[in-house]
Amino acid sequence: MIENNKNTLLRDYLLSLLVPGLGHIVRGWWRKGLVFWVFLAIQGGVLYAAVLRGRLAWLACSASKSPSEYWFSTTVLFLFFLILWLWAFFDICRLTRVSNAETFVQGYWQIVARRFSKDPKGLVGLVIILAVCFVALFAPFLARGNALSMDLVNFLNPPSLEHPLGLDNFGRDVMDRIIFGSRVALGIGAGATVLNMVFGGLLGLIGGYFRGASDALIMRVLEIVNSIPFLVLVLLIVSLWEAGVVTLIIVLGIFGLQPARIIRSEVLSVREKDYILAARAVGVPTPWIIIRHVLPNAIASLLVVTTMMVGVNIIIVAGLSFLGFGVRPPMASWGAMLQQAQEFMRTAWWMAVYPGLCILVTVFGFNILGDSLRDVLDPRLK
Amino acid sequence: MFAYAVRRVLQLLVVLFGLTLLMFALLKTMPGDPARIMAGLGATPESIEVIRHKLGLYDSLPVQYWRLTSGLFNGQLQAMTYHKPVWTVIVERLPATAELGVLALLLSLVVSIPAGLLSAVYRNSPLDYGVTTAALVGISIPVFWLALMLMMIFGVILRILPVAGRGATLLGWSFLTIDGLRHLIIPSVALSSVLMALNARLTRASMLEVMRQEYIDTARAKGLRERVVLIKHAFRNALAPVVTNIGLQVGTILSGAVLTETTTAWPGIGRLVVDSILRRDQSVVFGVALFMATCYMISYLFVDLLYAYMDPRITYD
Repeated sequence: MIENNKNTLLRDYLLSLLVPGLGHIVRGWWRKGLVFWVFLAIQGGVLYAAVLRGRLAWLACSASKSPSEYWFSTTVLFLFFLILWLWAFFDICRLTRVSNAETFVQGYWQIVARRFSKDPKGLVGLVIILAVCFVALFAPFLARGNALSMDLVNFLNPPSLEHPLGLDNFGRDVMDRIIFGSRVALGIGAGATVLNMVFGGLLGLIGGYFRGASDALIMRVLEIVNSIPFLVLVLLIVSLWEAGVVTLIIVLGIFGLQPARIIRSEVLSVREKDYILAARAVGVPTPWIIIRHVLPNAIASLLVVTTMMVGVNIIIVAGLSFLGFGVRPPMASWGAMLQQAQEFMRTAWWMAVYPGLCILVTVFGFNILGDSLRDVLDPRLK
Repeated sequence: MFAYAVRRVLQLLVVLFGLTLLMFALLKTMPGDPARIMAGLGATPESIEVIRHKLGLYDSLPVQYWRLTSGLFNGQLQAMTYHKPVWTVIVERLPATAELGVLALLLSLVVSIPAGLLSAVYRNSPLDYGVTTAALVGISIPVFWLALMLMMIFGVILRILPVAGRGATLLGWSFLTIDGLRHLIIPSVALSSVLMALNARLTRASMLEVMRQEYIDTARAKGLRERVVLIKHAFRNALAPVVTNIGLQVGTILSGAVLTETTTAWPGIGRLVVDSILRRDQSVVFGVALFMATCYMISYLFVDLLYAYMDPRITYD
């Protein structure tokens, strides 16, 4: 039993404020404390890299780049440090309070969190996704050069110590391009998915909840859009505009309507439940029923679909860029890198292997996380 | 059953009509002047004007729409850059995509159904983890990258397969010749990766679902051998959703074919779409898109009807 007098509590809080996780370790919560330390070490490493390369916004001394290029990553980095400290502090406050009261009432989300932490699949997915997000957020700190600087003497150099993944046909460092490409992949993938969920979700909700004419109309529209292979449709639409990141997000976001169908069927099954009928009987307004009663009960499949859609969108963006319709060079994107690699297949294998591996691993992360969420969130499995 | 089929066909026609409208709207907003493209480089303004009149670009939109749609069916619609009717262009390219798609599908079924079956039977065994992980990798892998890797490994490094292209054909089919068959291997393996993964997951899920049913317990209780229970009672019932899903996978195949064919220089319909979009050849784009949609919807309809016909529990109201 852990002693809980005022002095030890104060000591642990202070230790936790001093170094996140130290309070946990003194208390004997080894694993949690070490998790905080791992995060601390990673963020410290990024800070070190940023300082070393003179890219921390107010230390930026590189002549070619203005400090403003680094503001985003710098801000995010310090925000993360702040979050880490606060999180450790509040966590130890919560844990000490809980061990005082010894109450363990488990809600749905606590059960889900418990199940998730025991599912290796989900953890693998989460680690992959966090790693990719991390690389994308801190790209300017992690990359050694930038994605565009060329070396026209040493182009197509194979991987070496100086350039671990080799140089491409313009002498640009493949690793740096991959690092910056993660921003494009994740940015478009996540942005388009948000739009997908809002758009498709709305359509599915309206169709499923109100049924009747609106449902029939929505379903016909869905059938029309779904009848032609998605890639071809998107190719055609994207070719109408000068493609760019924003265009891609909007086009994929609006026409990727697969979530609508899933949400519709979910809503259809929820709306027949007795509690919806009860809510309607006592006169709860419809929007409130949808927000308060329908959505929370569809949240499980919403989460799964969202996770999987990010992967789908990343693959489609890569495919579009590969065909030359997506992100235009010289902007670094994994798909466009593969398109270039195709020409140099016989001489420069490193140009083709690594960007593809990155797509594979990232999409795998989202898929395996979605798979695990599907198991974990299913209330039937106890 | 008949009434149901008729209603489904009517529904299909409505969707196709909607699609023609959508496609027409998209094509009309497509940048680039078709007349200029058709005239080629170095054409005088007068000759472009003549072609513009010939194409009827000054007609009202409904007239243009009608010409485009009807022209597709009566063969009047000319491909702008191929100087042939659109239908001819599509039909010429069709065998390449058909054999690629069918081979990929067969390959995927041959691998995925046993894999899914074993994975469900030996649930939570190392084999099951292997199959499910492989399937997850399969749905995550970009087909064009897989094709590229196969080309690099087997074509460039090992030199046992041709890198790209279609090779020799007999009567328009390349699987009839040895050379063509060798060219067919890489694209079809790449294309089948996604299908394999999808089908294995589906077979496994469906098999697990069936094995939970009471009639499986009954079959075991009456003393049938485990193999008979699994094959005759469980597997046959578990196969129905897998078969149905093949209809839905025609869309996946066509999408995948666009990427695989472009990567491996396979002269099929998928590459035709990309080429025509790049060349702004609107009539071919229109024709191919409609053709793909029709293929997809017909196969979907066919499988649906087949399913309804096979499974007497399904009512068609």
